[in-house]
Amino acid sequence: MKPVWSRVSKEIEGELAGTNTSCPYHPSHFRNQECTFCYCPFYPCEDPDLGEVAESPRLGRIWDCTHCNFIHRKDVASYVHGRLRASGISGPGDPALEELFRETKTKFHRKGKAVMILGATSDAGKSVIATAICRILNDRGYSVTPFKSQNMSLNSRVTHKGHEISMIQDLQARAAGVSRPSFRINPILMKPKGDGMSQVVLEGVPAGDYSSADYYSEFVPGPGTDALKRSIDFLQSRYDFVVMEGAGSPAEINIYDSDIANMRAAKAADADCILVVNVEWGGSYAYAVGTLDLLHPEDRRRVKAIILNNLRGNVSGMRAAAEELEEMTGVPVMGIVPHLDFDLPKEDSESFRGVKSVGKGRTVVAVPKFPRISNFTDLDPLLHEDVTLRFVSSPEEMEGAAAVVLPGTKSITSDLEWLRRTGIAGRILSLKGEVPIMGICGGYQMMGRILRDPFGTEGEPGDTEGLGLFDMETEWPGSGKKTERFGGTYIPTGDPISGYEIHSGMSSSSETPMIKTRTGTEGSIREDDMLFGTYVHGIFDKPGFRRHFLSKAGCALSVEIVDHDDHVENNIDKLAHGVMEAVDAELFDRIFMEGRL
Amino acid sequence: MRIMFLGTSSNSGKTTVAAMMCRYAAINGISVAPFKASNLSSSWHITGSGSPIGIGQAFQAVASGIAPDADMNPILLRPEKEGVVRYLKGSPCAISDDAAFSEVLASFDRIAGKYDLVVCEGSGSPVELNLKGRDIANMRMVRERGIPSVIVGDIERGGVFAAIYGTWKLIPEEDRRYLRGFVINRFRGDISVLYPGIEELESITGMRCFGVIPYADLRVPEEDTSVSEVSCREGLVSLDELLSACRDSVDLDGMLRISGT
Repeated sequence: MKPVWSRVSKEIEGELAGTNTSCPYHPSHFRNQECTFCYCPFYPCEDPDLGEVAESPRLGRIWDCTHCNFIHRKDVASYVHGRLRASGISGPGDPALEELFRETKTKFHRKGKAVMILGATSDAGKSVIATAICRILNDRGYSVTPFKSQNMSLNSRVTHKGHEISMIQDLQARAAGVSRPSFRINPILMKPKGDGMSQVVLEGVPAGDYSSADYYSEFVPGPGTDALKRSIDFLQSRYDFVVMEGAGSPAEINIYDSDIANMRAAKAADADCILVVNVEWGGSYAYAVGTLDLLHPEDRRRVKAIILNNLRGNVSGMRAAAEELEEMTGVPVMGIVPHLDFDLPKEDSESFRGVKSVGKGRTVVAVPKFPRISNFTDLDPLLHEDVTLRFVSSPEEMEGAAAVVLPGTKSITSDLEWLRRTGIAGRILSLKGEVPIMGICGGYQMMGRILRDPFGTEGEPGDTEGLGLFDMETEWPGSGKKTERFGGTYIPTGDPISGYEIHSGMSSSSETPMIKTRTGTEGSIREDDMLFGTYVHGIFDKPGFRRHFLSKAGCALSVEIVDHDDHVENNIDKLAHGVMEAVDAELFDRIFMEGRL
Repeated sequence: MRIMFLGTSSNSGKTTVAAMMCRYAAINGISVAPFKASNLSSSWHITGSGSPIGIGQAFQAVASGIAPDADMNPILLRPEKEGVVRYLKGSPCAISDDAAFSEVLASFDRIAGKYDLVVCEGSGSPVELNLKGRDIANMRMVRERGIPSVIVGDIERGGVFAAIYGTWKLIPEEDRRYLRGFVINRFRGDISVLYPGIEELESITGMRCFGVIPYADLRVPEEDTSVSEVSCREGLVSLDELLSACRDSVDLDGMLRISGT
């Protein structure tokens, strides 16, 4: 395809556009981008550092610039704009245009600066600090991408191209202002299935189940290492900054050489590192000193700063000790970050282990606490209303529930068995018609009559009886998985619904569909019995359906109508602001901005 | 005969390991009692003589087969509106750290005079740079009474090797001779995965690994406001389960040996 040169000519004739936030397509690439060249004069440059070949269902093989940010850099756009105005280049095919591209690339293209956020432990606050840094740098107008080579989580999202990545990297991409994140921001996603096995999602696509031992002996040295390098190269050649996140502690000396989530990734990207230590549990100086000392000397040299995170108490009481830590380690303490009050989706189920309820609202929504509960961030938006989410493990705990939501699960048959064994299943059936009952993804599948799994995708091969709330059958065809972004409208009210689907079981329902899409319908609904079922994760994000559902539960709706996306956006800002307030701005600039202003 | 369990952080599992030690010693016919100099908590157990002590020490006493006693935990720190208030055997006391420490030593000596083995528990981490000089519950106690010590690290959050190494490193060199070993707590999975790390840690610190404790959902009374008979009975059942789960992975006899038993 040739660029539409008439459009490019107009772009050249006009002034520099700056960031056009009023454009309906903004940000086409990243928030705060330079919009002068909506049509790139160099298209198709066919430079693998910038774009890539892709198959388009409509157009066949195309040159895909989804992840190219080059022409949207302020310095690049301004230079190219000026040169094109002065040169009188006639259009595509003019050798001077090719020459200008080469010259511009030599002058401006460079590898992005990589900084890795390491944690002394899991739950140190790595992902939170990385999220904040993504936003801080993007606020300054840079193109920024998050990255985590390997994430273990049951909370995942789907990219625009249908690849599955971890929820938290998707959130960080949002903080970084990336409009369409690539699977390369999280090339390896491990989804624990129980019994020591994990499903490994490689570059957005399921790549089999591994035990921990096989993962380290087979997967890591081969496909894991390759994917790590590919991702880092891809991101560093496209973004000004790659904000990397480590996993767990980088100082696990029992697996040091096979750990591709920490120092090996840092090395591959030649990243500077910042070590985050959670001070909440005490022992933080020992954790900091121990972590640094157990790193190999060439890895330790990468650590340029320490952040003491999550302090509940007086910051001034820690200053002297922080100085002593600096003296002892030779690594400066970039900041003592207080416990910050913000509300963003949490990484994994560890975060609510032991937690029995969230929220203080009057309407109790009971959520069975499946042993392999997944994508439970679906429930977060309910808390914008007068709701308490109660995670229940027994029927007694369901007393007083005004609604039931069955969330997703990684192991549907064993979690359904758990639901029956605990007696919760029976209680749910007795509540039919009394309170609204909603199933999402795995929870929806459970609501059907029968679950057919002849190939044992979810557990032992065979049929399992469902709860029978819907006249619906679900079957696992043995291979394939649906991972897609989703958009539609809730049929009874016409409210918009958006989200994503991730499932390998396919349902055929004879119930009334719940959602209308551009090409068909989705979900099941029995309005008289207040039964709802859908595969769509994020079903409660938009206020319309959320409030409709809760009104059936007798929930007094709030006056303020909160869109969950706006809420997340505001909280990212709040977090970024809180972190920036607490860190030494000079040291921050020394690490991030060196040679780049 | 005495032994001290120091933690790499709060909640690393000191209380549980000390309770295991008490129970194991008692089962083996050793007269044993728990001791913790000071405890930061908003809930406590009231002893028969009316003194409040930490829930952990009350349970450890039961695990030792004896009645809870005020000397087992002479100082309680209680978060109150105006800040943390120090209680000495139940009464608020505004005495200096040194005076409080003398009381602690007196309590310890009374316990040590009555029982053959005193199983001590530290408080939080022994190497908080911001508390330096004010901490009377950890190394000061160890130094003053020459107590062989074992570091307890929690592997659940990761970073356990760094935590144990860092704790060892931050303890002044002249005190490291008391550090005889370490224990890794709350492990899930195949222990053999840990061996290369354990060996490295043993060789760089000179401490020995006394074992790896598997993850357990203990029903040990920790948060209750009093140690009822029921919670103690349940606690002992789960402590015994844990002890038997540790039969092959934890060298309790080795720890008894370093205590001088």
